Amino acid sequence: MNQQQADIVIVGGGGAGLRAAIAAAESNPGLDILLLSKVYPMRSHTVAAEGGCAGVIQPHDSLDAHFDDTVAGGDWLCDQDVVDYFVRHATEENLRLEHWGCPWSRKPDGSINVRAFGGMQIERTWFAADKTGFHILHTLFQTSLKYPAIRRCDEYFCTDLLVEDGHCAGLLAIDMRSGEQTLIAASAVILATGGAARVYRYNTNGGIVTGDGMALAYRQGVPLRDMEFVQYHPTGLPGSGILITEAARGEGGVLTTCDGYRYLQDYGLGPETPLGKPQNKQMELGPRDRLSQAFWHEEQAGRTVATERGAAVYLDLRHLGEQRIQERLPFIRDLARTYVNVDAVHEPIPVRPTAHYTMGGIQTDRHTATCLPGLYAVGECASVGLHGANRLGSNSLAELGVFGRLAGEQAAERAAQGLAVDPQRLRPQAEAQAAGREALRTANGPERLAALRDEMACAMEAGIGIFRVPAQMSATIEKIAELKARYQQLGLKDGSRAFNTEWLQAIELGFLLDVAEAMSHAALARQESRGSHQRPEDFPARNDALFLKHSLARQQPGGAAEVSWQDVVITRSAPGERHYGGTTVQGANR
Amino acid sequence: MRKPWQPQQPRDWWLHNPAYRRYMLREATALPLMLYTLLLLAGIFQFSRGEVAFAAWLSWMQTPAALLLQGIALAAALLHAVTWVALVPKILVIDSDRLRIDPRQVLRAHQLGALAGNLGLVVATLWLLWPAGGA
Amino acid sequence: MGTIELVATRYRPEQDVQPWEQRYTVPCSEDMSLLDALNYIKDELDPSLSHRWSCRMAICGSCGVMVNGEPKLSCKTFLRDYREAGVVQVRALDNLPVERDLVADISGVVEHIEAVKPWLIRHSTAPVDTAHTQTPEQMARYHAFSQCINCALCYAACPQFGRNPAFLGPAALTLAQRYNLDSRDEGSSERMPWLNAEEGVWSCTFVGYCSEVCPKDVDPASAINRGKVASDINYGVNLFRLLRGKSDA
Repeated sequence: MNQQQADIVIVGGGGAGLRAAIAAAESNPGLDILLLSKVYPMRSHTVAAEGGCAGVIQPHDSLDAHFDDTVAGGDWLCDQDVVDYFVRHATEENLRLEHWGCPWSRKPDGSINVRAFGGMQIERTWFAADKTGFHILHTLFQTSLKYPAIRRCDEYFCTDLLVEDGHCAGLLAIDMRSGEQTLIAASAVILATGGAARVYRYNTNGGIVTGDGMALAYRQGVPLRDMEFVQYHPTGLPGSGILITEAARGEGGVLTTCDGYRYLQDYGLGPETPLGKPQNKQMELGPRDRLSQAFWHEEQAGRTVATERGAAVYLDLRHLGEQRIQERLPFIRDLARTYVNVDAVHEPIPVRPTAHYTMGGIQTDRHTATCLPGLYAVGECASVGLHGANRLGSNSLAELGVFGRLAGEQAAERAAQGLAVDPQRLRPQAEAQAAGREALRTANGPERLAALRDEMACAMEAGIGIFRVPAQMSATIEKIAELKARYQQLGLKDGSRAFNTEWLQAIELGFLLDVAEAMSHAALARQESRGSHQRPEDFPARNDALFLKHSLARQQPGGAAEVSWQDVVITRSAPGERHYGGTTVQGANR
Repeated sequence: MRKPWQPQQPRDWWLHNPAYRRYMLREATALPLMLYTLLLLAGIFQFSRGEVAFAAWLSWMQTPAALLLQGIALAAALLHAVTWVALVPKILVIDSDRLRIDPRQVLRAHQLGALAGNLGLVVATLWLLWPAGGA
Repeated sequence: MGTIELVATRYRPEQDVQPWEQRYTVPCSEDMSLLDALNYIKDELDPSLSHRWSCRMAICGSCGVMVNGEPKLSCKTFLRDYREAGVVQVRALDNLPVERDLVADISGVVEHIEAVKPWLIRHSTAPVDTAHTQTPEQMARYHAFSQCINCALCYAACPQFGRNPAFLGPAALTLAQRYNLDSRDEGSSERMPWLNAEEGVWSCTFVGYCSEVCPKDVDPASAINRGKVASDINYGVNLFRLLRGKSDA
């Protein structure tokens, strides 16, 4: 077994991980910061974010307005102290990216341009055409190269956290190219591994988005918080689930049924706005949970379009004209042409909701620290308390900057205290865990990897989808337990070490099953409807008396997840009604 | 253990892909041009040796083999000019706060320049030769 | 639905002395990408075939392979376009060491990208609370060059890189130009040594195939050859300064 040491190890090279690495290097250039990722950083799924990144910049906008939109969008399950911190720092992070070279789209006078986004009452979404995540990720990656304190382990797959005396003291990783296991000791570990939407059959996520960090923390007893809240993005391509950005609607795109009817007016989002004149928080600019739920009803009523790739509605951009589409949404036009053979200039794009984002994640305090000393979590893998029950589009890219920086600074502070554990002391537990990984590599049971993965994905789609009914949720919970048992009987065909992706996928499936378990148990335990968690049959309404609380899923040794509850931090916005559509009145704020 | 396979570029790499073949053809236009330059040099050398030698060179230049060679050289020169001019807008980009020229105009200017240069050469040659030929 | 023959060049470092070919029969529907086919093989026929992939939408740059001799992203390549050919030949990207099967070692390419100082260099510090002004026209000057996804298809397309892996190559030199042409950047003089070097722009002979295979229309051939103009100007300026007894610019 190889052995390495660093002051800080960051797992994941996406936006959050890179921002954390840069912050740590800037706050203490003498540190040895190791950025470890199972893919080259520019492959990370931040790259696929399209629409934009929130930050108050217009004179008639305010931090309070951003706060209100975020808290109401999250159906009051956001920790308001965290939201406060977030809205106060989002703009400075966007400016920092600008100073690092991010090509934010501009107005003709050369100042920053912003666009409308779902659930935001004023335009505050910074964008780089429709490749915002791509530009942010590459800007961060390229900027990270100028800090000698940051070194990278590209294509290293983290398999386990190492805990000594109640502190996170390092991790175990597979060097994918050789297949050798490596022990890395560190004073602080930051998990920035992204989301877990690959637990679903149809999703907007890349193949690497397998909940690794969530499962790593979960297995060490760190609770996963609010895991029942999974965002379905209203506009994915049918079949593949490839993301068609909300910015398409922010720019004026409309959603219609097969006969051209803008059905969102029937779901409390109206009145219908004039074509090409989108109104904030109305119609197509309602929040994602509402829009995805509206699709579900339309599908039940048989008003969706039947395509060869399944039911869909139309996203119509034609009235925007070729020039605007080419300027603001070139990638969308390219994606539609390539993957569904539709030119958005001349035809509407078929779209449907697909699993997109995990609002929940590893429980952290408002400074990104988990309950396990030495372990921090940030980005989609974490639940810092920002998104509540439904995330507003463009808040997550902003989250990467704001909390990535915080995590980097926190870890640097800890690392400076010299809390490193001698790697030799970690050796026994690392070797025990490594032996388990080795056994999996050569496992020869009867179960097939692909079959287990597909059964899990279908079960999650059926039980923990847009609408949740008790019988199906219970069936999913049983199914996940069954799959976890069958996972122990896995048989792998490729016994080699070098770039053995079957082995890595098997480890990922283990992570996914743990995350699916936490999601499904948390969903069953939350006996109300809130944000993206909707139980129309048994608990159709929000229940603040009992469930204005975060769920905490903890793994039980040998058993299913145990769910407990944590109070939500409410500072100045008492729970109110979420108002969208033309009759917008803010909730009972302040 | 890592044991990456180190591929070797085959000697005939340029045969494997139409894009490479086009590139090699473009580069190979230099060969007939070099040959033609050598012929011209030989002509100057013969000219320095006297009228008889130069006349012999001139008549050799009119043999079918030599004409074929000159034809190939002309074709190569034209191909080279066309491909070169086509690449100009990718190389010569005039776009600053003070001056911006549309790449299509840059291309057009080069095409016109090349055309004018060649036509000028033909006209100049005819003008120089006309009295001798006409007399 | 129908099927199509897929021939993959395999190389398993622990077992094989050299690459060899394996033939698979895969389903071929209208919208099936080559990536779908490779994942089908991995799931249903042969889990030991290794390939890289992630986003499925041609933005992460993971899945570059040679398809019938051309560098392509497997997620943006469709089996329907090979029905006539009847067979799809897939191998790891050319000009790079093969780690295993369809997985090329791109670490050399990434090192080249890192070498050219691909970050915004400022000597004067801007205030923290305002953005630089940059008009859409100024952004347009470098925008295409900022679209590179580092997929390395251009390296597989470049015979000069195949001949000399020390050549910085299309993506790295394009990235240097991307920052040199950014109105906010003040670091072009620091990047000039890389452009001027023997492994810089002058190793390029304008084959131009890099721009043909680029899945993001970045046009690296243009970037590099504009770099030659910049390198020439830099040479002239330096010569002038040296003649006047001053140091390099």
